[in-house]
Amino acid sequence: MQTALSIALDAFAYGMALFIICIGLSLTMGLMRLVNLAHGAFAMIGGYIASYAVRNLGLGYGFGIVLAVVGTVLIAVPLERLLFRRIYDRSELSQVLMTIGITFCVIGITNYFFGPTLKTIPLPTELAQPIDLGFRSIAGHRLFVIASGLVVAGGLWFLIERTGFGIHLRAAVENAPMSRALGVRTELIYAASFALAIGLAAFGGVVGAEFLPIEPYYALRYMVTFLVVVSVGGAGSIPGALVACLLLGAIDVTGRYLMPDFGNFFFYLAVILVVCAFPRGLMGRAQ
Amino acid sequence: MKISRRNFTGLAGALALAGTFGLGGAAAAETIKIGIIGPFSGPFALQGKNFQAGVEAWLAQNGKSVAGNEIEIIYRDLPTANPQQARALAQELIVKDKVQYLGGVYFTPDALAITPLLKQGNVPLVIFNAATSAIMTSSPLVVRTSFTTGQTTTPLGKAAVDRGIKKFVSAVTDYGPGVDAEGTFKKAVEAAGGQVVETIRMPLNTTEFSPIMQRIRDAGAQGVFAFLPSGPPTLGFVKSFNDTGLKQAGVKLFATGDLTQESDLPALGEAAAGMITGFHYATSHDSEANRKFVEAGEKAIGGPGQLTFPAVGAYDGMYVIAKMIAATAGKQDAEKAVEAVKGLAWESPRGPVKIDPETRHITQTIYLREVAKDAKGNWINKEIQSFPEQKDPGLAK
Amino acid sequence: MVQAPAPSAAATPARSLGRDLAGFALIALAGLAGYWLFPDNLAFLTRVISVALLVLSLDLIVGYCGIASLGQAALYGAGAYAAGIACLNGVTEPFLLILIGAAAGAVTGLLMGTVMLRAHGLPQLVLSIAIVQLLHEAANKLAWLTGGSDGLAGMVPAPLFGLFEFDLWGRAAYLFGLGLLLVVFVALKLIVRSPFGMVCRGLKEDPLRISALGISAFPVLLRMFVISGAVAGAGGALGAIATQVVGLDSLSFELSANALVMLVLGGLGNLYGALIGTVVFMAVEHIVAAINPFHWMTLVGALLIAIVLFAPRGLSGTLDEAARILTRGQRRAGP
Repeated sequence: MQTALSIALDAFAYGMALFIICIGLSLTMGLMRLVNLAHGAFAMIGGYIASYAVRNLGLGYGFGIVLAVVGTVLIAVPLERLLFRRIYDRSELSQVLMTIGITFCVIGITNYFFGPTLKTIPLPTELAQPIDLGFRSIAGHRLFVIASGLVVAGGLWFLIERTGFGIHLRAAVENAPMSRALGVRTELIYAASFALAIGLAAFGGVVGAEFLPIEPYYALRYMVTFLVVVSVGGAGSIPGALVACLLLGAIDVTGRYLMPDFGNFFFYLAVILVVCAFPRGLMGRAQ
Repeated sequence: MKISRRNFTGLAGALALAGTFGLGGAAAAETIKIGIIGPFSGPFALQGKNFQAGVEAWLAQNGKSVAGNEIEIIYRDLPTANPQQARALAQELIVKDKVQYLGGVYFTPDALAITPLLKQGNVPLVIFNAATSAIMTSSPLVVRTSFTTGQTTTPLGKAAVDRGIKKFVSAVTDYGPGVDAEGTFKKAVEAAGGQVVETIRMPLNTTEFSPIMQRIRDAGAQGVFAFLPSGPPTLGFVKSFNDTGLKQAGVKLFATGDLTQESDLPALGEAAAGMITGFHYATSHDSEANRKFVEAGEKAIGGPGQLTFPAVGAYDGMYVIAKMIAATAGKQDAEKAVEAVKGLAWESPRGPVKIDPETRHITQTIYLREVAKDAKGNWINKEIQSFPEQKDPGLAK
Repeated sequence: MVQAPAPSAAATPARSLGRDLAGFALIALAGLAGYWLFPDNLAFLTRVISVALLVLSLDLIVGYCGIASLGQAALYGAGAYAAGIACLNGVTEPFLLILIGAAAGAVTGLLMGTVMLRAHGLPQLVLSIAIVQLLHEAANKLAWLTGGSDGLAGMVPAPLFGLFEFDLWGRAAYLFGLGLLLVVFVALKLIVRSPFGMVCRGLKEDPLRISALGISAFPVLLRMFVISGAVAGAGGALGAIATQVVGLDSLSFELSANALVMLVLGGLGNLYGALIGTVVFMAVEHIVAAINPFHWMTLVGALLIAIVLFAPRGLSGTLDEAARILTRGQRRAGP
């Protein structure tokens, strides 16, 4: 029983870390219809900025997170203007091709400037200490990740379902020309939601760094995982992404516990089964 | 006839094909060329950079000519294990670039893909890293200056039991070298009177290790043996080991040096403190030869903190190749070259080494090291015990 | 041909036959030119042919049926491993090995199609990834059969026609590959021109209308998956024969993604694009990686971005455009 609880807790933390990184991708794919394979690259950029801020400049962890989110968005905005804006209405394949190209460039450039070594983001002592939960000890940052994930999920749901921005965004997605005719500045909406998605990626990159360590190849190494999780959840659905992250996280973690040899089998078998049973993703919108 | 669109595209294809290779051209083949294949880009780029640093450190110290022959290095990138590409690259180096020597090779499957070409190409291969025993038996023209997994785990297993730990769990990455490491460690532990109560194989791309730690906890072991390829997973493994409280519970972590390569140590930091590893080389090794090597190597790699074990394999590999060139007076004769270095002994930055005349694999001292801080406060692999003249147990008859 | 009418969207059979013959001749010429011009690069060129077969097979699925796949290497790898295992077990005749590879690819294509056709769009893409990852894992675990992570090595195919060895210089392997490519290309041209090929195209353009004709999509698309599998499998077998090794990389997501990039780069849905994309991508990668093995990734990335921005229909599409301007063909081709 204790073991099961312990595994469940680990799975929950892992799923939440995945969720924070992936939810931005789910938004870009579902709402903006942009298959942004460079999403992981932005998460990685966030991780690098935070690592530089905390390790080299000696700033606090919280400050590092803020700097990472702001910095990554600042890097992404000109990219959105120059590159992404041109592919919003292009075919999925063009989007895949260009965002893979961007990923390659980001990897090459990071490798050049920061070298190929692993970068860590030192945690503040409160988060670094193992916390005794009675039946086991858990690293403080795992609880922090879980909390962050819940906050992100709640905040996003509120933003999209309950605010003016959310209404405009949904309108722009549903019917862009009509929204424009009604005075919604769709370009601005797209830019803002792109920035939001990138900011979340950067945030996820930083807080998830204990699970997915920051190094130049990060952007490609986890590209598939992110894409798979988002599709299983149904692109654009926040609860879908949450369920998918928790489900796949749980399958991955328990699979690795029960039969570590076949860890990947469980994960991909689950993906195949889920997609076959729910061809639009767990909570995908009808097309 | 009009040029139809279809024809036009086909023609353009031909032109593209023609244009792209026009650059090649034939070079004057007076200098001796050495082709180095390694992962210079991609997820293992750091290891490839270390190949280059080792080679360039050697060139900086010994000059670019050997016994009156100019030498030229040709680097070829092979980002991940890809035997078909490895073979095509080696084939091209031999046929087109006319290299007299091949060196490098990070992964075992790539080495196994290249070895069948050596005889026909009359080219020896000096392996700077790929660490599976079986490579040596696949061609008589292979010499290796790195290590094998068994070479490092065998003394480690004995030393671990000598420290009073009897019950081990082994956790290795589920691929060739990992399986080798598990087997050799287990054998060494059992020979010394210990016991491996559980063997865990982890998928290659694992980064979340808490379930593995849970298994280790369940098994109730006093010691854990880990083998993972160097890179991001090692960090996750060691952190998880701490986070789940195994370290505080007094469980000892033993591993091969891959887990604590110097470039990862700043990232691992405190988390790895006290971890015991068995390996053939630490950049902190205390000798004059090593200080000089590290100085030249760090200069070549562009700064401190990136130099690690593949560099010493490459550096010693260059030493071996230079001896081969001298022995053949610059003439291409693979058999004579390999013959000449059998039994060759010298002082490497890692300590005294020798090419075993039987197996052509390097005989060397294996060190037991502990992750600790040096006088300046940097994390290092501190050598605490040495096992001199270790051959590869996998090749021993 | 001189007095042939101006080109129209639906070319007459005779005219398209003329074009095809000219196309085949050009491919053969380009291939032979490669042989004479770069006699020292044959190992690389053979790899290009092997991958070109993979990209052609992907074009059948993506370009003709509109099914995006990031798992095509599953079919290629199945062929490579089947040929490799057969070769190690005493079947060394190269033609037979190609057939074995094609058969293994076809069977895998059947399975993969059955699974993938259950979904559409992005989930379908993800299914293809999951399948190739599963097979990759399986090949790693079945080390007794596949050599696991060490790969299969030590296979020695019999000389071609009993005369020409697959040796260090790779001449036999290259010409063998070139011949295979030509045969496959002709066969594929016939297939995509056939009524069956037209139905596939129709399913891509307007599935509703095709189903209104009383044609069920699933068996048609599945058949294309089988054909695609056979082509990819033959490519994999060629790779195995030419290099005499098979590694896990031949069954990887990375290879699948590269194949898709090459295809989109060259242009979808006309078979020539697949060839051009493969040659250009691999040549650029090869040359840039040789000039600067440490930073080629950035350059390849920049190339991909440039293609999307400046040559949205792929290289073959852009060349068509250029050709049309050159030949003053003002008529816009059909959709």
